[in-house]
Amino acid sequence: MRKILSFTLLATIIISGCNKKDDDAFDQSPDERINETLAEYQSALVKAPYGWKGLIYPAGTKGGVFSFYFKFNDSNRVEMFSDFDSTSNVTPATSSYRLKALQQPSLLFDTYSYIHVLSDPDGSVNGGDYGSGLGSDFEFAIMDVGADTIKLTGRFNGSKAYLIKATQQEADDYYSKRYKTRVFANYNKILNYFKRVVVGSNQYQIKVNQVAHTITFTWVDGNGIVQTYTTGYYYTTDGIMLTPPFTDGNITISGFSNMTWNATTATLSFTVNSDAAYIYGLGTPINPDLGAPQRWWKYAVDREIYWVSENGFHVNGVDDAYGITRTPDYYYFIYWPEYGTYSGGNYDLAAPIKVINDTLRLQYGGAHRKPTFSNDGRVVFPYLGSLGAYPTAADSVAMTKTRIQLSESTGYYFVQTGNSTYDMVNAKDGKAWISWIFPQ
Amino acid sequence: MINDIHNNMQQSAKVIPISIAPHWETMIDNRVPGWLLSLIERLKGLKFVPVRKMQRLVFFLFLTTLVACKKEDLGNVDDIPGLGGDTWAATPIDTWIYDSLTVPLNIAVKYKWDQFELSLNKTLVPPKEEKIIPVLSAVKKVWIDTYIAEAGAVFMKRYCPKFFALAGSASWNTDGTITLGTAEGGRKVVLYVLNDFRTKDMTGFQPSDSFNIKQMFHTIEHEFGHILHQTVYYPVNFKTISVGLYTSNWNNVSDAAARRDGFVTAYAESAPDEDFVEMIAMMLTEGRSGFDAIVNSIPAGTSTNNITQAEAKSRLRKKEAIVVNYFKDTWSIDFYSLQTRVRAAVEQLIK
Repeated sequence: MRKILSFTLLATIIISGCNKKDDDAFDQSPDERINETLAEYQSALVKAPYGWKGLIYPAGTKGGVFSFYFKFNDSNRVEMFSDFDSTSNVTPATSSYRLKALQQPSLLFDTYSYIHVLSDPDGSVNGGDYGSGLGSDFEFAIMDVGADTIKLTGRFNGSKAYLIKATQQEADDYYSKRYKTRVFANYNKILNYFKRVVVGSNQYQIKVNQVAHTITFTWVDGNGIVQTYTTGYYYTTDGIMLTPPFTDGNITISGFSNMTWNATTATLSFTVNSDAAYIYGLGTPINPDLGAPQRWWKYAVDREIYWVSENGFHVNGVDDAYGITRTPDYYYFIYWPEYGTYSGGNYDLAAPIKVINDTLRLQYGGAHRKPTFSNDGRVVFPYLGSLGAYPTAADSVAMTKTRIQLSESTGYYFVQTGNSTYDMVNAKDGKAWISWIFPQ
Repeated sequence: MINDIHNNMQQSAKVIPISIAPHWETMIDNRVPGWLLSLIERLKGLKFVPVRKMQRLVFFLFLTTLVACKKEDLGNVDDIPGLGGDTWAATPIDTWIYDSLTVPLNIAVKYKWDQFELSLNKTLVPPKEEKIIPVLSAVKKVWIDTYIAEAGAVFMKRYCPKFFALAGSASWNTDGTITLGTAEGGRKVVLYVLNDFRTKDMTGFQPSDSFNIKQMFHTIEHEFGHILHQTVYYPVNFKTISVGLYTSNWNNVSDAAARRDGFVTAYAESAPDEDFVEMIAMMLTEGRSGFDAIVNSIPAGTSTNNITQAEAKSRLRKKEAIVVNYFKDTWSIDFYSLQTRVRAAVEQLIK
């Protein structure tokens, strides 16, 4: 009985084991489907009659964006432009590309071209960090292929990118070199520390990072609260586009167009939504940090030590304009609050520190009275007198110019740039500033 | 592998060596899952299984069941994407590589981006197309042609690494050093920094570019030196010359300081094997007079390790003699003649 039972069981198992019903979810094998998909993507890339506009948001730039133009052909070649610099914006470069089945169907730009410049780990190529560049990508997973748009995600850094079918006009703009003006690049010729964009009655302080292609807007809203917003920009034939657009209340700024540069007044003029607008430089921040000068001064007093500047004053676009770092044995420039006393009162010391025989040394310096802090966030450093003797004429020239600059009568605004770092900006026109760090 | 100090960069770059792990041959095939290993061992010990008739019947039925259950269908496997390597429309570069390296020497070159041939956690970029043929033809002239002229084509076909992977940038390490080249198992060589490769015939050549060129050939000669001594070991008395001075701290030592201790470069301090191949690489790329100049540059006095000037010079000369004899006895190669050829080929590119 038991034997019969077990044989019946076995027979059942054998028969059911023979079930050959094919119930695959797809009617083709994975290989067939991936080949089909790759062929489909390939033909989509090649068939766009006027090529593709590309936008790449390098993950390492935190909001920056670069624009590209791509024209793919059927033999793995791609021609491209990029708004990285004035050459790449008007000179086409050809390299290779490939569609490959990695974990997803992927688009690889597999020999060097403009797209790789953003990823180059040599920081001198793109202004980014050594070892990682701008944290961009050139190997993309294809996320979605629509009628006019292909959505991509970088496989190494996860940068987002979009390919958008170009029109004949857009292709023509590249090949006819209409991107050569790049008027917005004149931004770095505005030598003032603070810059503002004026749109009608609205004013925003802006800070542009030309390496990462980002703009940061700072403004005070209707409730008196300071707001900031960072967005990316890319060059157009006559200005820049912001992506995503900047919005404040009922104003939306999606780009600056018809841009012109006036070298005499150092002003960029353009239109925003067909309203006239301009960018200019000045010496007053939109939201002065009223307590910053006192905070800075007291920080060093409490610790009985000094603030350090490595490079001295930056004036009219020139680093170390007064040559203090080029004096013999220079180590760094210091500001030492309450350094000593003179006829019953404390005085502050501003002086270069020298390294002589491996020891830090004060040779000479300028004494300043206790700074005058005003209610609008400025501070003035009244000059008291000099200490020590200049060893060389270079020392005398550099120190005299630095002392005159420091005791400038309009005074300085302070911008806190880190936990113990400050920028000190001349309130007269914002064209002179010095960066202080606290020695740890 | 070899790394080196990259003078042009802000960071002070030092080298980190990559060499082949010991017990390479005994590596366990990781495709065999762990649980199967013990089972295999057990089966080996299973010698005699008593079988009764009934059991035998059930066993065969059981087998039939297993067979009957096999309904796996691999489907159409004729066209698996990427099987057999990537394909693309051939360009003049592909033709050049095929004609100049693949046909005569069975060397494959991968210049198109493939992160899996490089390191998976480093930011790297592919090479510029216009750099590929200049680099490879320079490699051929300086390294392959010179060895063929001295040792014959059969020697080169047998021992040369068969696969080159190329990267456009350097490989940046977290300690601020950069890697200029690596080699794996005597088969594969990865060359970095192709995009900075500029010979004297190219526009924009600066004398400082000759550093990059010499480094590239230094890397190749270094790695090929490893292949040679891993095939036939060098005389062990080489190891006794600088015994006690090998240190893992070599990357904090300058080349000049290393020479005062009787090492040709700082990296040579890392291990006797590296010392040996650094000697080969430096002697070949610098030439005989260049090497003599290095020896003669050792200043008077004693080093921090108490090595005198005369002792340091004599150690370098002893190492030189062992290298020369090794090439003569083991490979029947006249080292000085090879050295002359290599240096002449290098100078063609930089002077």
